Amino acid sequence: MDRRLTLAWVHGLAALALGFFLLGASLNFGAVKDVADFVANVLAVPEYPAVFVRETLRDIYTWTRDRTDLKQRLSELERENARLRIVSSVIVAEQIRAELAARTEEARVTLRDPLSWWNECRIDKGTNEGITVGLPVFQNGFLAGRVSVVGAFSSWVELLTSPALMIPVVVEETRELGIVVGDGSGAVLLSYIPEGHGVEAGMNVSTALVSELLPPGIPIGVIADGGSSSGTGYMTYRVSPGASISTLYTVSILKHPRNR
Amino acid sequence: MIHAVFWLVQDLLTVLTDGAVRVPEIFLLSLAYHLLEREREVGIPSIWTAFLGGLLWDLRWVGFPGFYALVYVVVVMTVLWAWNLLPAQGRTPLVVFLLFWAVQLFPAVLAVLVLYRGEGGESLFLMQQGYAVPISLLSAFYYCQRKKDKNA
Repeated sequence: MDRRLTLAWVHGLAALALGFFLLGASLNFGAVKDVADFVANVLAVPEYPAVFVRETLRDIYTWTRDRTDLKQRLSELERENARLRIVSSVIVAEQIRAELAARTEEARVTLRDPLSWWNECRIDKGTNEGITVGLPVFQNGFLAGRVSVVGAFSSWVELLTSPALMIPVVVEETRELGIVVGDGSGAVLLSYIPEGHGVEAGMNVSTALVSELLPPGIPIGVIADGGSSSGTGYMTYRVSPGASISTLYTVSILKHPRNR
Repeated sequence: MIHAVFWLVQDLLTVLTDGAVRVPEIFLLSLAYHLLEREREVGIPSIWTAFLGGLLWDLRWVGFPGFYALVYVVVVMTVLWAWNLLPAQGRTPLVVFLLFWAVQLFPAVLAVLVLYRGEGGESLFLMQQGYAVPISLLSAFYYCQRKKDKNA
């Protein structure tokens, strides 16, 4: 055998013997722990970049996982919030419905004088039922007129078609303000709309927030034609009322909250 | 010096993975590669380098000196013995690969049997072999290419 190889074997066996000795001695030698700590401390310097990369990667992983968890939690909360909003809306709608039901008084039309057919009618509810002057009167959910005179057991309603009743309104699509007034012959007109402001047939008309007499947003009807110019820069349109004024048998009166 | 660098790379990889995976035996592979390339000149230094590298690994990662020092010396001596036993025509690329693979396999098997028995060491071993085999293949390929270039 090659001498160099034999020497390598001798060194190998010596290394093995030393290894066995260290293995046996380390089990009964407390200083090994101190040596291991020392080695770890010395290696901490070259190992620092690896520790830094590892910690950075761990932070990124933790951040990503937390972000995913938070996004999931957020979407859960959003869904829960949406459900609660629906529940809340239903409750509010129920409250409004109950409040409106409590404030609404049904009345029958008891008299409609042929001489003032388009101007007024009498209903069978008066102050005893909480009716006061100025209350809005509806038919089919649309404004039909206003209470003008109140008695103990009956009241008179000024109709939408009366020239004496002028109601501030708004065209919902263009937010133009105007006045709705009857012509006393069954027609309802929308006046004081400036020319060229885009008001067209089919647009909705409702009460405006420029009067304390009627609450805003009560639907009245739709614009029926393209309008006619008055020659002063303003247009007059015919309005098709939602309430059927010619077939008034029963009406609803929205009472003031304090009269509930 | 180059072996110290490989030892440090192996150490840094272990730090980086926080012990979650068993990194390949890069240090031992570099020793084995060197041994195959210049077996007669580097036999004795390789044995003591393996001993010191193993001892340092024990102190850094195992906690008591001797285990990896012994394992590394045994592996280096086995490689030296096997390589010298083979005639020149028997030193095929397959044999080189098997030696390099044995270098990866032997410490891993012993570590599973002695250090990590019943602590999920088997899965760590399998995972390590998953990348130890390709590394051994690449090393064998590189060795054969260099040998071919040298002989050309």
